[in-house]
Amino acid sequence: MISTLQKTIRHLKAVRVLHKPAVEVLKHPAPEDTVTASFGRFISEMKPQHLSPVVLQRSKRMVLDSIGVGLIGSTTDVFELALQHCQYMYAPDDISSVYGRRGTRLSPTLAAFVNGVATHSMDFDDTWHPATHPSGAVLPAVLALSDMMPAHNKPSGLDFLLAFNVGIEIQGRLMRFSNEAHNIPKRFHPPSVVGTMGSAAACARLLSLDASRCSHALAIAASLAGAPMANAATQSKPLHIGNASRLGLEAALLASRGLQASPLVLDAVAGVAGFNAFYEDYVPQPLESPSDGGHMFLLEEQDMGFKRFPAHLGMHWVADAAASVHKVLVGVDPGTVSPAQVQDILLRVPQSKYINRPFPESEHEARHSFQFNACSALLDGEVTMQSFTPAAMSRPDLLSLLRRVRVEHPHDNPANFNRMYGEVQVTLVGGDILKGRCDTFYGHWRNPLTNESLRKKFRNNAEVVLPSEKVEMLVDVVEELDGLGDCRVLLSQLQ
Amino acid sequence: MLRKGITESFGAAIHALNTTQLTDGVINRSKRMMLDTLGVGLLGTRTAVFNKALTYSQVHSMDFDDTWHPATHPSGAVLPALLALAETLPSRPSGLDLLLAFNVGIEVQGRLMRFSREAYNIPERFHPPSVVGVMGSAAASAKLLGLSPAQCSHALAIAASSAGAPLANAATQTKPLHIGNAARRGLEAAQLAQIGLEGNPAILDMHHGFGVYYKDYSPSAMAASGAFKWILEEQDVAFKRIPAHLGMHWVVDAALAARAKLQNTIGSFDLSQIRRVTLRVPPSKYVNCPLPVTEHQARHSFQFNACSALLDDKVSVASFSEAHISRPALRELLSKVKVETPPDNQPSFDKMYCEVEIETEQGHSHAARCDTFYGHWRKPLSQRHLVEKFSVNASSVLCTEGVEGVVEVIGNIERVTECSVLALYLRMTSNPQEELHCVNIQ
Repeated sequence: MISTLQKTIRHLKAVRVLHKPAVEVLKHPAPEDTVTASFGRFISEMKPQHLSPVVLQRSKRMVLDSIGVGLIGSTTDVFELALQHCQYMYAPDDISSVYGRRGTRLSPTLAAFVNGVATHSMDFDDTWHPATHPSGAVLPAVLALSDMMPAHNKPSGLDFLLAFNVGIEIQGRLMRFSNEAHNIPKRFHPPSVVGTMGSAAACARLLSLDASRCSHALAIAASLAGAPMANAATQSKPLHIGNASRLGLEAALLASRGLQASPLVLDAVAGVAGFNAFYEDYVPQPLESPSDGGHMFLLEEQDMGFKRFPAHLGMHWVADAAASVHKVLVGVDPGTVSPAQVQDILLRVPQSKYINRPFPESEHEARHSFQFNACSALLDGEVTMQSFTPAAMSRPDLLSLLRRVRVEHPHDNPANFNRMYGEVQVTLVGGDILKGRCDTFYGHWRNPLTNESLRKKFRNNAEVVLPSEKVEMLVDVVEELDGLGDCRVLLSQLQ
Repeated sequence: MLRKGITESFGAAIHALNTTQLTDGVINRSKRMMLDTLGVGLLGTRTAVFNKALTYSQVHSMDFDDTWHPATHPSGAVLPALLALAETLPSRPSGLDLLLAFNVGIEVQGRLMRFSREAYNIPERFHPPSVVGVMGSAAASAKLLGLSPAQCSHALAIAASSAGAPLANAATQTKPLHIGNAARRGLEAAQLAQIGLEGNPAILDMHHGFGVYYKDYSPSAMAASGAFKWILEEQDVAFKRIPAHLGMHWVVDAALAARAKLQNTIGSFDLSQIRRVTLRVPPSKYVNCPLPVTEHQARHSFQFNACSALLDDKVSVASFSEAHISRPALRELLSKVKVETPPDNQPSFDKMYCEVEIETEQGHSHAARCDTFYGHWRKPLSQRHLVEKFSVNASSVLCTEGVEGVVEVIGNIERVTECSVLALYLRMTSNPQEELHCVNIQ
């Protein structure tokens, strides 16, 4: 990354001493010199040997976690709805497996869709910085495409991992083109913007498209990207990831048939918006091809956050902060926490409208409510999957606590997953004040889940839907993924 | 979060609008739109992009479809969805049901575009059919499906998450997919709403809802009864005579007139006598293409369309073939073109003009200006010319019986008991091997 930055600076310095006609040429770059072309080349030239051990390790953890949340996600209403829609409204096409449903297969794009929906259905999937949920947009598409490829030509485990990592990398690169992307989003839901592009890139890689077609896959995908934040925290949100996966795959398939789109989609052209239509500020940078001498994947520098419970990432800070207060309270007065003890609850959190919900009315809203997650953790000592059931949500004790919550947005608490903190201050009826603060929750990239914790989460999720032999098989297969000659071993364990 | 009830009002209106509210004016205008759209769609099935995308896209493949003000291509996003849906519904909708649903889809698009000033000018960020088209398709499909007011609102919300394609893909082979996807994803949104999926019930009210597609956004509620007036009644659409971006029609009419002037003066038209051609056009980056290479670029090039008109004394479907685009005489003429963007020439389909000035080697100038081309809403195509355009287009694919059948059915659509009869005629291809299959969504 640093060497790339230095190279960029050197390039800019050189521009100043060039004479005018050359500067003109630089203003109108040759087709091969565009940012868009550089991305196409990067995708087509990536090879398995470019994956470092750290990247292999981290991406395998992502694959495992993503499959797990997808499997548990297949038990949700929204998944069922999406699956029914696909089965009734589309002609049958038994090609790609659906998570957790033995014998159920759909066409590749529809399988990517429903599996993506499953992955994001409980907001349990991974989160990166800058913020997006990268794996759910990519893995379902790569799985579906692998199912589609002919039996004699299935990707190896390493090909699979390479495609997956290309999909993650492209998302990371695109988010670095704008400052807007570094903060909790306000306009477009990031997975719907970069996720679609990542899926297209991953599928283009798996299909071994040439550089030009890889570029066109990205360009076609750009026309399929973008969903408003207003649908986050509604039942439609999971479809953002489902559609990102499906449409990215579709873009790659269309590109493979020769469909063409804008060769400047990632470049910033005044008066004609390309990918920058989704951002207020946008400064694109070309991607160096791996053949230029090594490539540092973003995943190597910036690890992934995994969630311990199914809610928006921001909730994990207040949950951990509230849990520490709960511990103290329970220590003082053994037993459960009673609302009668509590006079006032003050939350100090970043400002973000869509996760500030004093009285959430649905499970989706509850997963996006600082207040709800703080009070649940205060009451129960932790937030779990069960915290979001209708029964748990309607507990009188919980509602009592919710009524006592106030929210402040300190200036030093930015809406940014790399720098925010969560503080829970409980004033007891007697006047005592208990404070809990969390700067880095367990599972954040600065304090990553151990492999044991990650596997435990996976088993808890997967065992709801699959028999334990398959669950253990999956743990082993993903662990050994880079050594697998044929990824069918993975594909056959998902339902 | 302040809910102004705008989304609710749209859901209620989509649900409640009924056939008695269709005025004669609206019926006439929307039937013309349906006929034109079917024709361009049929012709479009012969394009490379159609074959690549199969059922994903038909109508916008040649940029030949209708254009409205504020700018979008309204019919292509709605009609294909309705035709597909009508074939599957057990309720067997009548022609009037189809016409009503179609108009609901158009109306919603018109309403949404009036929520922002940005929508009134030639676009720079998102391609309008990809923004409002999918919403119109969702509304129309919801209407035909008979969804409840709440479901109609949710259809719009779900559709909003499928909106928005960047303008950079206009003038490429992917542009037609914007309309195809608008139709398809709007239909899907309605189907998902029907089985109970919910989105944000205030999607139209919020800036971070539908407002994300616009820099300025000021929504207002829609009334379903009482003082309800269809936008189509007040603002007609433009139908194209040339399969190219709407702006090209001005420059072509001006070029033809300038050419006639030159010919009248000199007696004959001699290309070698031309020293320079100056075009005075509104500023719009994506239709300013000095040397187009692909047919898509050519359809979005003031320069190309002006020169084609000068060279051939007409611009037609055939002008955009690769052979035509790469003619040396045309390339030479293109090299003599200069483009100016006078400050009084606004990038708005309601206000723009085009001027073409030909300067000869002798130093004489012949200029002509077009303020309103024939086919524009201020100067609508006659019914005869509209039917002629349809017949020419449709005959490339359908046999005579099919062509005449469609004209007949659409002409009397409000009296047709089962609109699926339309589909029968649309399948009457002239070449049996080219038989159009039932719409089979994959």
